[in-house]
This record gives sequence, structure tokens and C-alpha cells, in this order.
Amino acid sequence: MTETIASRADVIVLGGGPAGMCAASAAARAGSDSLLIDENSQGGGQVYRAPPAAFAETSPGAFGPDHAIGASLRLALADSGARTAFGCRAWSVSRDVGGAGFRVDVCDDNGLKAWRAPALVVATGATERVLPFPGWTLPGVHGLAAATVMLKAQKLLPGERVAVAGCGPLLLAVAAGIAKAGGKVAGVIDLASVSDWLRVLPGALSRPDLLARGAAWVAGIAAAGTPYLRRHAVTAALGDDRVSAIALSPVAADGTVDRASQPLRIDCDALVIGHGLVPNCDVTRILGATHRYAPADGGWIAVRDGDMRTSIPGLYMAGDGGGISGAAAAALQGELAGLAAARDLGALAAQRHLDLAAPLRRRLGRAMRFGRAMAGLMVERPGLVASIPAETPVCRCEDVTRAEIDQAVAEGAREVNQVKAWTRCGMGPCQGRMCGDTVAAVVARLVGGRSAAGAFTARVPLRPVPTAQLIGSFDYADIPIPRPAPL
Amino acid sequence: MTTVLDVAVVGAGINGATAALFLARGGMRVALLDRGQICRQASGVNAGTLTMQMTRRALIPFALEAHAMWASAAEWLGHDVGVVVCDGLSLAFTDGEAQLLSERVAARREAGAPIDLVDGKRAQAIEPGVSDKVLLAGHCKVDGYANAYLTGLAFRRALEREGVAIMENRPVTGADRAQGAWALLTPEGTIRAKRVVLAGGVWLEDMASWFGCAIPIKVLINQLAVTERMPVAMRTVLGIASGLLSLKQYPHGTVVIGGGWQGLGDRVAGPRAVIPENLVGNVRLACHAVPALERSRIVRAWLGLEAETADALPAVGALPGVEDVAMVGSIHSGYTSGLSIARHFARWLLGAPLHPGIAAFDPARLVVRPGAR
Amino acid sequence: MSRRIEKGVQRPPPVTILVDGRLVPAFPGESVATALLAAGYVAFRKSPRAGKPRGPFCMIGSCQECLIRVGEVPVPACQATVREGLEVTLGGTQ
Repeated sequence: MTETIASRADVIVLGGGPAGMCAASAAARAGSDSLLIDENSQGGGQVYRAPPAAFAETSPGAFGPDHAIGASLRLALADSGARTAFGCRAWSVSRDVGGAGFRVDVCDDNGLKAWRAPALVVATGATERVLPFPGWTLPGVHGLAAATVMLKAQKLLPGERVAVAGCGPLLLAVAAGIAKAGGKVAGVIDLASVSDWLRVLPGALSRPDLLARGAAWVAGIAAAGTPYLRRHAVTAALGDDRVSAIALSPVAADGTVDRASQPLRIDCDALVIGHGLVPNCDVTRILGATHRYAPADGGWIAVRDGDMRTSIPGLYMAGDGGGISGAAAAALQGELAGLAAARDLGALAAQRHLDLAAPLRRRLGRAMRFGRAMAGLMVERPGLVASIPAETPVCRCEDVTRAEIDQAVAEGAREVNQVKAWTRCGMGPCQGRMCGDTVAAVVARLVGGRSAAGAFTARVPLRPVPTAQLIGSFDYADIPIPRPAPL
Repeated sequence: MTTVLDVAVVGAGINGATAALFLARGGMRVALLDRGQICRQASGVNAGTLTMQMTRRALIPFALEAHAMWASAAEWLGHDVGVVVCDGLSLAFTDGEAQLLSERVAARREAGAPIDLVDGKRAQAIEPGVSDKVLLAGHCKVDGYANAYLTGLAFRRALEREGVAIMENRPVTGADRAQGAWALLTPEGTIRAKRVVLAGGVWLEDMASWFGCAIPIKVLINQLAVTERMPVAMRTVLGIASGLLSLKQYPHGTVVIGGGWQGLGDRVAGPRAVIPENLVGNVRLACHAVPALERSRIVRAWLGLEAETADALPAVGALPGVEDVAMVGSIHSGYTSGLSIARHFARWLLGAPLHPGIAAFDPARLVVRPGAR
Repeated sequence: MSRRIEKGVQRPPPVTILVDGRLVPAFPGESVATALLAAGYVAFRKSPRAGKPRGPFCMIGSCQECLIRVGEVPVPACQATVREGLEVTLGGTQ
């Protein structure tokens, strides 16, 4: 029968993006036995997601600059001596019963396994915010982040004529990526105005290399003659069984849709759209760390010190999961978290830790200025939340509309978990991981803010677990059935 | 607040909410206080099972009465709580379980529960989803389930209509006696009432201590899990002889798996963590009973806190040594029986003689140190 | 026009997967979602309440919109990797 096998490490790192890879590498180099767990088959996370190992570049550099950075991080990880568990889905995190530290339960093709460690670095990155609009559930509508996965890792165009909409740097990266891959961009629809972009310029100047890359994207879009609509929002995806066109309207600075003006229409067979990134702090919430609502950081974030320590001893949060600040900052935060974990475990002397951390902190300051500038373009726009039409489904899994959420609040629900209980909003297979932030934003408008509205309670499993994998093969006699309940 | 209410009920689970509702209908001015929101603890997150086959023998008469109340909630509460009345089966897979089941079915029958013993073949005829490994089953036609998530919504609507003051997010920190009334202390001011009803589930021990009374209450941390929506796999409520499995499929297709496997948590911190082995064990047991569950996925596991007294029977009646304070709670499988017990309790507070069956649940038997207020 | 990007990429020789009994060409290593999208599938399942068509949305295993079965096991198509002879059923767990 399949048994839960327990294994130990000094430091477990959850998530194999830049933060996680750097955390695992740094801890290993500092002498700790570190283990990186990620569900993907290779390191990279979303930003440096690698194509399948069986896919090759036709010439060096053909996969682009991000691929090269990812490759160097993967190499550094391999050289560091850190252990890795790729293709391994973590489904449960908990405080280890009867021992100091943490327990991570995983399942992969070989069954169930539990890992234990006194230190846990959470590097689970961000999820994308896509604010609902009519038709957003149509096939052919994808997130901007999904488009980056298609382009970078899957080597797939999102469609033959792709509308690219939303805000932030991903908008330009995806539009440029589609064009570069030989695809057709039907239009770029940006919530931001030129002045919004200019406002973040001073922060962006901290990374002239990345700024230049962004400028090249804009120039490329213009050169291709692609329509670029600023201060516009997609107000509907049109089509019966798949998207065939989108409707657009001008918006105010806060995202409020101008319904008075005649909507524009763009024909397309795919729409990729994203309204910013939201820190994924499921793990630190399940473990009970202290969080606060920080809109400029993307939403709820774990409270951390300069070494990425959360409020729970031994628990660290690095990268976008701790507040949206971009890939460069994530890598540095990961390194700081890995070093801090090694120091806290006694593997690294205090002075040595300070010496190693000091230059990282300086570089992090610079990277954060750039990352925060970009994050500034991706903050939640309250007017866009207010513009969600009543009959639009907010919860995709359960088709729960904005009107049903409003109704629950009118019935006396005062926070999102009550709304969930009364409407099934967030009870589907994604467990509110797609709609949670939107529901909270909608409820917050009615109950007096995000703190009052709260957040869906985070629970295990971290992802739906196929029952067959969870139970493995077993004999009935071996199920440790507790003693009978009293009669 | 200078108004003196007739009754302040502390704890807005089904016991407190039911008591408040019937007290208001009896003409009293009632406030219902909770440190959180209405029916958001055990009453809102339990598995929703309404079954005689997990009910303690002494509670069977109340469970039968409450089952009828749940089934007719639309009439007396004014709102449906997603109640489905259906057959229930308690399964035995081994000779040992068959022995246990026979004894328990006999005891529950004696207490009035309409349960029959059927063989495995008959069990499969009643519930085609059940495994062919069943040796013996208890079969009850008065079982079913509610959608526990909707409990708070239904009670909130009913209480508002009766004029009960619902005070959510109002933690009580203590109580003072002044001018022949109780003053409940909360961060947002004092609530004054002639009488106080404690209906705090696992927090009854803390509540009794406000009045100097020591009644130990154990805390069970029950784990539950739910599948995503799946095609019809079962139409009955299922359990096993030991009582440590509950299974039902809701009309929308999700299957809730419970039975009282334990997680981590306590009264102060609340639910803390699902114990993975216990989830796996619980789900294995569920799949052993209904093999089709293997084709689904578990999307969520959660925890609910259940109160248990020293003898695992309810605490209902006057708080010993304390004037004008009474309690109702710690009812094993309380979601099934609570409505009836809390209604009897309310009738007693309104002046009716106490139901003799409930008199046996006098908190005095549990008191380590009586109150002195 | 193929939606698969040719520029700069050398793929391994194609294989076939079986989708609801139909042979679909695919490349080993890519996700089943990619293979299906490239083969012209847009809707993978219907939403359970409103019965509306749904296809891949997040592509990172969060949204569950692209749920399929590989053999008996329900899995998001974006998280399933193509290999020769993989048997896929559309329609999620419904």
C-alpha cells in the first residue's frame, strides 16, 4: 500500500521561480540542506518558464533574453547542491505536529510523500487579476500571464488575431511577443494613459536596461501599425461559443467605464487580458502568519522584515508573493531569504551573513524601485470594479454573478466568507483563487473597505487533488479508523 | 445602553439562534450576540448530516423531532436550508463492525429510531453507489441532510422578522450584576438583560467562567472535505458502524466527506490545521464505501469545532449557583438535534415545565465549581 | 496558419494523442492544452451551473477551466504533458 513517507531537509522552498531558485541556491551554498519543490518540470516560475526540455533553440538566444536569465538561474541552482523535487505538487502545508518547523505534503506520480524542515521559504509568486466583464468566460479569452506561458514556454500563439488588453508591463511584453513570433496583434487596449506611464518613469530609470526593452516594445507595436488605445477598457467579449470580437470604451483614470460614448469594436479570435498581479499568499495564510492589506503591493501580503522573515519563526516569504516587485527583486529577495534561513538555523555565522546580505540589500533597493514603479501601473482600479455589470459572472467556477454577491450583502453578509457560504461564490474547483480578490473588492465597496470585507479563508489542498492519487492503493484493514464515537 | 432586554443570548449558532427565535415569538425582547457572525462556526461549517444513525441514544427522541423541524423549515423558520430527506445507511464491512452495528441499531431502535438491519445486497439496492463489500447495514428512512452553509442566511432572515437584535462581531468579555439585571460587557458597550442564555458551543466553558462557574468542555476538531461537482454517485446519507464516516452528495454534485476524523486546533486559536494522514484515512474510508468517489477530486478540507461534555451528553438548563443565567449546548451531533432541544429550552424559559428528557441534561452534573454570582 | 510558433524552435518529432477517441497530432513535452488549442479545440468543457462553454484561461493550473481526464484522472489540460498515446477525455468531471 502507498504510505506517507517522511523526509527531512533543513530548508524547504516552495515554488521554483526566481525567488525560489535563488532561495534554495543561497541556502545550499551557505551549508544548509535545501530542497526546492515545484509542480513544473523545470525551474523558472512564470517569468522564466522554460520550453519543454525536448524543444531546442534553432540558434543560441532564439528563445529570448528571459530564457537566458532563467537558464543561468537553473544552472546556479544545479551547481549549488540544493535538492530539487520538480513535477511534484505540494497539496498541504502545516506546522509539524510534535516537532519544530513545517511539514509539506506532496503528491506526484509515485504517490504521497511528506517533507519536514525547520525552515520554510514560500516563493509562490503572484496570480493574475482579471476583472470580470461580459463574455470574459468565453473560450479564446485568456489572461495576459497565460499568454506569456503560451509564447515563452508552449511556443503557441494565443490566436490568429489577438487583442491584448489590460495594464502594466505584461501588456507590452505580450503584444511585442506575439508580433515577434509572427502573430497578428489586433489591437493593444491599455487602461493607462501616456501620463500614467510617464509618472512611473523616474522609478523605471533605476533599470535603464529594462526600460529600453519596454521602449523597444512600444516602438515595435507602433511600427507594425497596431492600433494602440490608451485609457480604454474592454467592456465585452463578443461571440457565441468563442470570442470573435471585443467592445471597448474609454475609461477614467480610476477605471470607471464611460458608458456614454459609443463603444468601439475590434474583431479578433483571441483576447488576452490582465489587470495586474496579486500576491499569492495562500501558504502563509494557511500557516497563520500576520498579513496586511497593501494595495500598492497588489493586495494582502505577509508582514516581513528585511530578511524576508514573516511573523512565524522559520517561515520566510520571498518574491511577488510578498508584494509585487518584479523578477529582479524576487531573485534578490529569494537570496536574502535563503541566507536568513541558513543563518537562523546556525549554518551561517552572523557576521558572514551580514557580509553576504549587504550587497544584496543595495541591489534589492534598486530592483525594488523598478519593480514598484511597474506595480504602480497594476494596482486595482476601483472604478473598474464598480463598472462590473450586475449580470456578469464573477465566480467562473460556479457562475455566480455580481448581482448575487450584492444580494448576499443586502441580506446581511458582512464579509466575503459569508458571501461565499450563501452564494457558492468561490466554492468551485479553483476555490476562489481566481475570483477571491474581485469578490473582496466588490464586497469592500459595500461594507467599508478591504479589511472589513476580509479574504476567503485559505485551506488545503493548495490545488484540487485527484482522489485516486490521494488514497493510493490501500487495504481496508490498514485504514486507522479512530475508536467508535460514543453511543 | 440603558434599555434592559428580557434575554441576551450569547452565541449565534443554531442553539442560540433557535432559542432567540422562539423566545422572541414568545413575546420577549431578545438580543443575539456573537463574537463573529451568525452560524459561522460549527453550525455553518459542519457536514449537514441529519441522521439518527450517528445520534446518541439519549438524543434520539429530540433528533426525530428536530428532523421534522428541518424538513419543515420553510414553514416554521420561513426559509428552506437546502434540506433533503432521504434514506440513510450505516455500513459494516467486517464481522467486528457488523457486531458493533447490530448492537447500536438495537439500542437506537429501542430509543425510537426507525432503523432496520439489511444485508449487503439490500444495501446496494437501496444505494446503488455503495460498494459490494458491505456485509450488513443499518437502514433508516428518516435521515437526510441540510446545506449547513445556508443556516446563517435562513436564521438571519427569520430573526430579523421577529425583531431580534442581531449583534455580530460583538465579543462579550464578562458580566456584571446590577439593579437586578445582567450587564454583558463588550468593547462596544454594555448590553443589559434580565436573563442571559449561554449558547457558545466549545466556548461554553469560557462563558460559564464569566459567572465564576467551572464546567469543563472538551473540544473536538472535526475534519471535513469536499469534492468538486461530479456526476451522481450516491443518493443517500452514508455512515459506518463506528460512526466515523459521513457522506452525502448535494444536488449540485459535490460530495461532503466527514465523520469526525480529528485535525489540529483549540478553543483559543480556533481551527489550526488539517492532519494530512487523517484526511487520507477519511477519504480512503469514503472511497471504500462509494468507489465512484475515486474519479473525483478533493478541492477543500476544513475544520469545525464540536463541543463535548464529560459524559458526551448536552448541557441544557440553569447555570448552577447563578441567578437568571442558563445554557444550551454541547449536543453531540448537535446539528441534527439542536433545533428541538433549543426549542424545548426556550419554552422552559418562557415558563413551561422543562421536558423531562431535557431535565436529564442539567449542567449541574458537569460542574466542577458552581458559580457564585 | 498554424498557431504553433515555428520561429526559433526545433521541436521533437510529433506523436499522436487520443482525444475522445480521435487522433490528434502533438509534440512530446508540450501541454495537452497546447495540443488541443493548436488542433482547433477551443471549448474543453461546459460550466456546471450555466452550461456555458469553457476553455483554458490561466494556463498555470489555477483556474481549472481546462479540466480534462487523462485516463481516469481529472487534471487541468495545461498541467498534463503530451506523450505518445495519451488518452484524453474532454468534459471535465461532469
